[in-house]
Amino acid sequence: MSLAVSQAMLKRSNRWKLVGLLSFLLSIFVVLIAVENLLVSTILALMISYALGPLVNYLERQGIGRALSTTFVFISVGVILALAGIWLFPYIGDTIPRLQADMPRFITGVGQFISELEVRVQQVAGPLTNFDLEAKVESVLTAWTRDFFGQLPRFVKTFFTVMVLGPFLAFFMVKDGRSSLRMVLGIVPNHLFETALSLLHQINFQIGQFVRARLLESFIVGVVTAVGLLLINFPYAILLGLVAAVTNLIPYIGPLFGALPAFAIALVNGHSSLGVFLVATVYVTAQLIDAGILIPLMVAKIVDLHPVTVIVVIIAGAQVLGILGMIISIPVASTLKVTVSTIYRHLIDTRT
Amino acid sequence: MVNYMWDNLFRREDQDNEVQEALRQTYVFKSLSKKELRFVQDTCHVRTFKSGEAIFRQGEIGVGMYILLRGSLEIYVDQMPDEDLPLKSQLVTRLRSGDFLGELSLVENNSRRTATAIAGEESKLIGFFKPDLLEILERQPATGVKILLRLSEVLGRRLKETTLKVSELKEDLLRMSQKL
Repeated sequence: MSLAVSQAMLKRSNRWKLVGLLSFLLSIFVVLIAVENLLVSTILALMISYALGPLVNYLERQGIGRALSTTFVFISVGVILALAGIWLFPYIGDTIPRLQADMPRFITGVGQFISELEVRVQQVAGPLTNFDLEAKVESVLTAWTRDFFGQLPRFVKTFFTVMVLGPFLAFFMVKDGRSSLRMVLGIVPNHLFETALSLLHQINFQIGQFVRARLLESFIVGVVTAVGLLLINFPYAILLGLVAAVTNLIPYIGPLFGALPAFAIALVNGHSSLGVFLVATVYVTAQLIDAGILIPLMVAKIVDLHPVTVIVVIIAGAQVLGILGMIISIPVASTLKVTVSTIYRHLIDTRT
Repeated sequence: MVNYMWDNLFRREDQDNEVQEALRQTYVFKSLSKKELRFVQDTCHVRTFKSGEAIFRQGEIGVGMYILLRGSLEIYVDQMPDEDLPLKSQLVTRLRSGDFLGELSLVENNSRRTATAIAGEESKLIGFFKPDLLEILERQPATGVKILLRLSEVLGRRLKETTLKVSELKEDLLRMSQKL
C-alpha cells in the first residue's frame, strides 16, 4: 500500500483530535455540575424530549416542519398541564396547609404506635429491651418536619427554576438535538467515527425506550393508586397517587416508599383493620398491575440488568445524588453497559 | 475578521451545494426530490481523510456507506496465501469522485467490511449510515422507502454480477479439469 502520510503522523493527529473531543465533553460535564440547577434541569429536559420526541416525529411524518411540529406539541402539552394545574391547584393549596397542620398529630400518633409496640416487645422479650425508641423517633420526625417546612420556600424556588429551564432546554433538544449531535460527531476522529455514531444511536434508542416505558408505567400506577384511594374515600388520595407515581420510578424499593405515607396516615388516623386492609389492597393491586401487565409488556428486556446489579446501582445512586440518583441510576447503568459492550466489541474487532 | 467570516459563509454554501449535487448523482438517492435531498443532506456526515488514512478496514463491523465527494480511494483485499504467512493486501480497484462503497452495511446486521479502503490522496467523503437511514424512515418514511428501493436495486445488481462471476469461474474450472 502506498502511504503518503505516515501512520505515525496520522496516529498523532487522531490522538490530538481525541484529546480535543474529550476536553469538550469534560467541559460540558463541568458546566452541568457547576451551574446551579443545570444538571437537574438537563435530566428533566432529556426526559421530556424522550417523552415528546415521538409525537413531534409523528407530526413531521404528516408533512409539518420540525420547528412547527415541536412548537405545536410543546404548546399543546403546556396548555394541558396548565389546565390540570388549575384544576388541581385548589386541591394542592388546600392539602399542604392541612398536611402541615396534621403533621404534629401524625408524629404523636406514630410515637404512640411505637410506645405500644415497645410495651408489647417488652412483654415478650423482658427488661433486656429497655430502650426509649419512642422519644428518639419522635424527636427525629419533629426535626425532619421542621426542616422540611423550613426549606420549603427554597425548594419551591428550585422547583420553579427547574420547571422553566427543563422544558426550555427540552424544546431545543427536540427541535435541534440531532443537528447538535452531528456537530459534536464532527469532531470525533475518523477511526472512531462509526463506533461513536453506532454507540450514540444504541444509547439514544435504549434510553428513549426506557424513559418512555417508565414514565407511562409510573403514570398508570399513579392513576390506579389515586383512583383506588378515592374509591375507598381515603384522605390526600391524589397527592398519594402523585407520590406513588414518582416513587415508582425507583425500581424494587420505590413502591414501598410510595406506600409508606398512606399506611402512616391510616395508622395515625386510627383506621380499622378493614381500612388498613383496603389501603393495602389498593397498593397491592397497583403493584400487581405493574408487575403482571406493565413491566412484562413495556419495561422488561429494555434494560437487561441482573436484579443484584439493579440493587447495587440504586444504592450507589442514592449515595451520590439522593432520590434523583435512585431514579436516574438505572438509565445511567444501562448507558454504561451499552457503552462498555460496544467499546469492547470495537476493540475485539480491531484486534482480530 | 469580517472577510474571513464572509469567505467561510460562502465556502460553507459551496460545500452544501457540492454535497447536494453529489447526493443527486448517486444512484441510491436519484429518485429523491430537491426537498428530500436537502433532508438527506441534513442527516448525513461529511468527513475528510488524509492521504493514506483508512476509511475502514477489512473485517471491521461497518454501519454504513460512503460516497466519494473529492479525491480517490484505493480498495485492498487481504489475502492469506498460507496459514503461517502474514496477510498480504492486494489492490483490487481505485474509486474516483462520485463512486460509492459499503452500501451492504446499511441493511445487514453487524456487517463486516469485505475490503480495506484507503484514501489515495486527501479525500472528502459523504458518510450515510444505518442510524441516518433509520432516522429518515422514522421522520419521512416516504423518502426512506425510496432510498431502500434504490438500495435493494443496487444490492440485487451486485448479487447478479457475483452470481455471473461464480458461474463463469465454475465453467473455467470445469474446462480446466476436462483439459487435465
